[in-house]
Amino acid sequence: MADEAVIFSPVPYRRTWQAVKFVAPLLLLVLLWQVVVSAFDVNPRIFPDVPTVLRAGWETIANGSLAAHVGASMLRVSVGTVLAIVTAVPLGIAMGVSKGVSDFLTPLFRFFSVLAGIAWIPIATLWFGYGFGAITFVIFNAVFFVVAYNTLLGVSTIPMPLRHAAASLGAGRWQMLTQVLLPGALPNIVTGIRTGMGFAWRGLIAAEMIATNVGLGYMLFLARDFYRTEVIVFAMIVIGLIWLVLDRLLLAPLERATIERWGLVQRS
Amino acid sequence: MKSLALENLSKTYFDPYRGTQLTAIKDVSLNVKEGDFVAVVGPSGCGKSTILNMIAGFVPVTSGRILVDGREVKGPGPDRGVVFQSHALFPWKTVAENVTFGPKMRGVGKQERAKIAEEYLALAGLSHAADQYPAELSGGMQQRVGVVRALANNPDVLLMDEPFASVDAQTRMTLQEELTRIWEERRPTVVFITHDVSEAVFLANRVVVLSKGLVLEKVEIPLARPRSWERLVEDDKFKALSNQVLQLVRSA
Repeated sequence: MADEAVIFSPVPYRRTWQAVKFVAPLLLLVLLWQVVVSAFDVNPRIFPDVPTVLRAGWETIANGSLAAHVGASMLRVSVGTVLAIVTAVPLGIAMGVSKGVSDFLTPLFRFFSVLAGIAWIPIATLWFGYGFGAITFVIFNAVFFVVAYNTLLGVSTIPMPLRHAAASLGAGRWQMLTQVLLPGALPNIVTGIRTGMGFAWRGLIAAEMIATNVGLGYMLFLARDFYRTEVIVFAMIVIGLIWLVLDRLLLAPLERATIERWGLVQRS
Repeated sequence: MKSLALENLSKTYFDPYRGTQLTAIKDVSLNVKEGDFVAVVGPSGCGKSTILNMIAGFVPVTSGRILVDGREVKGPGPDRGVVFQSHALFPWKTVAENVTFGPKMRGVGKQERAKIAEEYLALAGLSHAADQYPAELSGGMQQRVGVVRALANNPDVLLMDEPFASVDAQTRMTLQEELTRIWEERRPTVVFITHDVSEAVFLANRVVVLSKGLVLEKVEIPLARPRSWERLVEDDKFKALSNQVLQLVRSA
């Protein structure tokens, strides 16, 4: 079977093989978990076995609470990310076209892109109160500075002759923006979005433990109050899986596609 | 295509390493008639690229004027098409989209642009590559696209900044022959910057030798057209002119 796949469709085979290589260690971990927990008869309060976690998971799916938590978290991430992108990209481009402005703002952006994340939660709750506003603000922060900084980087690394070429072919300011600066910076922008969303996802869980009553982070925190270790473990698995799916199936292919399509990486 | 005039051009830079003013161009005047082909040669550091960058409007002049068809140059504009050494093609646009970039900026419609792309890609022998991206082309093909991209915008003056310097010797000769063919067909006004003496003599009607920011000599090249390397490589007049220009450059 495998041999046939190699001969007749090498590409799907390679993809399947990559997926297998990626999933196998995770499955092995689950197997090990089950073996260890039953062999040492671990107290389920400390760490439950696989069937218990699956049952708890099924319960949260059946009663709709998982969907509510995932939905709330995804909504915050989407709104925060979209807001961050639509504000950070224009700002990054504005900074990128002026060397003076970018020299001035670069240290500030470096500073804030390190700070971005849960450090903002206390002040965000003071500004926006508990719930959607504060958490979306934290997401916004995590994405905004990274995307703005990467956009700036992308614009400033567009070779000068490209801008000269566009200008001497008659491009005005707006055309320079849409035809040269934006597409030229796009690979960096996408990289920024991917990095920023990685920060945002981590920040989201932390923020939801503190500042809300719905969402994956809250689900974790609530389960702890009721000593529902199996729900904690299930929620942790869901948090990890959602990010893996988002990153590997959406963001990484998007980044690869832009970089390759734009021809900025040498194809051999 | 229209005429170009440089009147008492000078350019000084501030050199941050020495903390002093650096004179790149002292005093250069030059007239290029409509439909003329002028090559500017000189040793590196003689200021030839600075002159082109000023004509293109990429750097401001310190004193003097640049006139294109009587109008003074204030910045980059579509009246002066530029061909870059680094080809400067937009990597995110196909070959056809690169060639029709200028017309698109002018608001030329899609159908008309398709016609322009067809015409100019045929001129460069690149019709088969219309839908490819620049990264998929060889260095010589990229440079051909760079040339017709500038031409397709129908500029008054075509400025070429050592466009063939970074391709291999074989390809360079082919590109030079193609450029003379295109020039003989369409007679654009061309200013061609190069450090390659035989390239300048092969292509131009007139070779301007630049030295230390001044025009050292202007040499007429009365070689018959159409020109080809096959004919000129053994031509005594070509050899004599090349020698003459080479001596000037070496003394510069």
